[in-house]
Amino acid sequence: METRVRKLNTPMLRDWLMSYLFLLPAFGFFLLFVAYPMLKGIYISFFNYSLRKFTFIGLDNYINLFHDEVFLKSLWNTTLLVIITVPIVIVFSIFIAMNIYKKKELARSFFRGVFYLPAVSSVVSITVVWGWIYHPNYGILNYITGLFGAEPISWLGNTHTALLSIIAVLITTSVGQPIILYVASLGNIPTSYIEAAQIDRASSWQIFRKIIWPMLMPTNLYIIVITTINTFQCFALIQLLTSGGPFYSTSTVMYGVYEQAFKLGNFGMASAMGIVLAVVIGVISIIQFKYFGSDVEY
Amino acid sequence: MNIFKKGCMTLLGVTLISTQLVACGSTTDTPKASESGKAKPVEITWWNFPSFQALDGEVGKYEKQLIAAFNKKNPDIKVNLEMLTYEAGPEKLNVAIASNTAPDVIYDAPGRILDWGKKDLLAPLNDMITDEVKKDVSPALMKQSMVGDQVYMYPINTAPFMMGINKTIFEKIGALDLLPLNKPDRTWTFDEYKKALEAVKEKAPDVIPSGFFAKSQGGDQGTRAYIANLSNSSFFNDDYSKVAINTDKAGAALDWIAQGVKDKLVVSGAESLTGADVNDLFLQGKLAVTLNYSPVLKAQNATLKKAKFDDVLVPFPTIDGAAPKLEPYLGGMAVFNNGDQDKIAASKKLVDFIANDPEWGKKNLIQTGGLSARNSITGLYNDPEYTYAELARKFYGNPPTVADGYAEIRTYWFPELQRVLIGQATGKQALDSFAEKADAAITKAKAALKK
Repeated sequence: METRVRKLNTPMLRDWLMSYLFLLPAFGFFLLFVAYPMLKGIYISFFNYSLRKFTFIGLDNYINLFHDEVFLKSLWNTTLLVIITVPIVIVFSIFIAMNIYKKKELARSFFRGVFYLPAVSSVVSITVVWGWIYHPNYGILNYITGLFGAEPISWLGNTHTALLSIIAVLITTSVGQPIILYVASLGNIPTSYIEAAQIDRASSWQIFRKIIWPMLMPTNLYIIVITTINTFQCFALIQLLTSGGPFYSTSTVMYGVYEQAFKLGNFGMASAMGIVLAVVIGVISIIQFKYFGSDVEY
Repeated sequence: MNIFKKGCMTLLGVTLISTQLVACGSTTDTPKASESGKAKPVEITWWNFPSFQALDGEVGKYEKQLIAAFNKKNPDIKVNLEMLTYEAGPEKLNVAIASNTAPDVIYDAPGRILDWGKKDLLAPLNDMITDEVKKDVSPALMKQSMVGDQVYMYPINTAPFMMGINKTIFEKIGALDLLPLNKPDRTWTFDEYKKALEAVKEKAPDVIPSGFFAKSQGGDQGTRAYIANLSNSSFFNDDYSKVAINTDKAGAALDWIAQGVKDKLVVSGAESLTGADVNDLFLQGKLAVTLNYSPVLKAQNATLKKAKFDDVLVPFPTIDGAAPKLEPYLGGMAVFNNGDQDKIAASKKLVDFIANDPEWGKKNLIQTGGLSARNSITGLYNDPEYTYAELARKFYGNPPTVADGYAEIRTYWFPELQRVLIGQATGKQALDSFAEKADAAITKAKAALKK
């Protein structure tokens, strides 16, 4: 018995035990609030779960989803949202960061604050303001375009402009964090690299392409993956600005999940939608890690 | 050793938190009535939408007074009140029902209550509805309270959904005679209505003649009844087995609305406006005619007006001036069957108190701003618009809310209206498309109920 106790008290085993004990609280919360709901979501997606009915229907929810025109339209809208928003957010954020990271501390903080403000503000408040900006009868945007002789447009009620209007709002709320991260990353690039390139008469574009961009790759990877995931999950803006309209032209998968679960009480169908979205996000994230992660050197 | 101690403390902490979580999740047995027959205290939960106007601007204050009065007569029943909002309440209810944490009693409308009734989630209230009550409530309202033979909602307050008109604008432009206010029942024709709108357009160019909205399903009773009456159509057929709104005349009415946007007779951007947005324009004095109005909304909006004007209620016009078919707003109470007979009995006592108490019954009705669901109870308000609203109850038509699959059907209505407003379909095409989807939803819902 004594031998066994002595063996357990060996420093290695003690450290091992300590590590897992420290990990346990976070791991417990992860299991309870992330892993369990995810697994339960997969489980529910195989059931007809509406209010108190719970019957196994196999893959029916998934089959119905892929025959549902509105879901396919929502999937396309979501993809379009990501394809347009993510590159604009990345390019815009780098552009702003490049222009402010060398400025004095006060100016830098001011610009960081300006661009980060929408990220920390309530999305509901922001959306209400944007709703008034886009208002078809009394919106400031129509007032401004009217000054140049343009006819008023129903920005959120036109199939050609509704999704773009949503994207514009989404971009303003998405660029805050990337700008902060890029400014920090740019500040960490040794100036000697850039000075050496300048002595060798490298152009600004060459310096950006050959030095700055590769040095930003770890930040790029994080920002691209996070922005992609957040854009895929865009919901509040859609619900508050357009409710998916006009005629489903801004309906997204997350809005569909909300509508099925909370408006219609079809939790099984909503879970299936969530799983499809999770799979799509997972696959795209893996591809992003493969292509953007290969250049990352930590 | 210190590290080991800290580790043990962490483990202890996690264990404690886990214990608490388990404790939070555990269910306690509800007390059963004692064998001696003596009444045991019962605790019930009442979830309430803002059915009663807030007292002194405080949401739930009136309800608390009501519960205190109820407790004087029923000291053994503890009522836990939870106020819901119209925005988040429906979602909260869906989640609560799905997770077996539904309230015991609720004040709501037939749209949701009948759906729960069809899914066997509610306790029947047949024992509360005497023959005298049944005879005193109009058939349209009783239909909205029942599933088959079972009564699931105790009808309390009602009001016909109508149009609201800014009377002051018509007075200012000298066109008051274009409104049907001199007729006792205020019925009017589509042509008379068009003339009234043209007069506003011509003589008050800064005012939008009429409203329309299709952004979301909120307030869709307004758009449904508007199109149905402008075309003398019904929304559903008589046995609710099919949609009946897809007539040529209804299509033409919808086309007229879409054209009206271009002709500046109807608010522009209607496809991205909600019913609330349009009513806001009305309250700001920028809109002459709004579609989604009732005596209840008129009372609630009295303090929200941003401009001084008198508003009057008129029914929707019909092609030939025939009697319109109005959708009734109905508020009432339902009791959830959560498997505890004591709670069901206690909940019924609360329902009875709210609806029928000699002192509080009338008080409650006035606080809702609505009319009584009982035909015999009239003259609650000293207001000519309420007197007219009481008369307009005779126009109650078949309420769409009782249709099987109603919740799903509503999700197909506003996108099709949007399609017409943005010029992607004609009125008839959109209504046919809606009918196809809605009929499929009815069939699906009927099949699901048979299982």
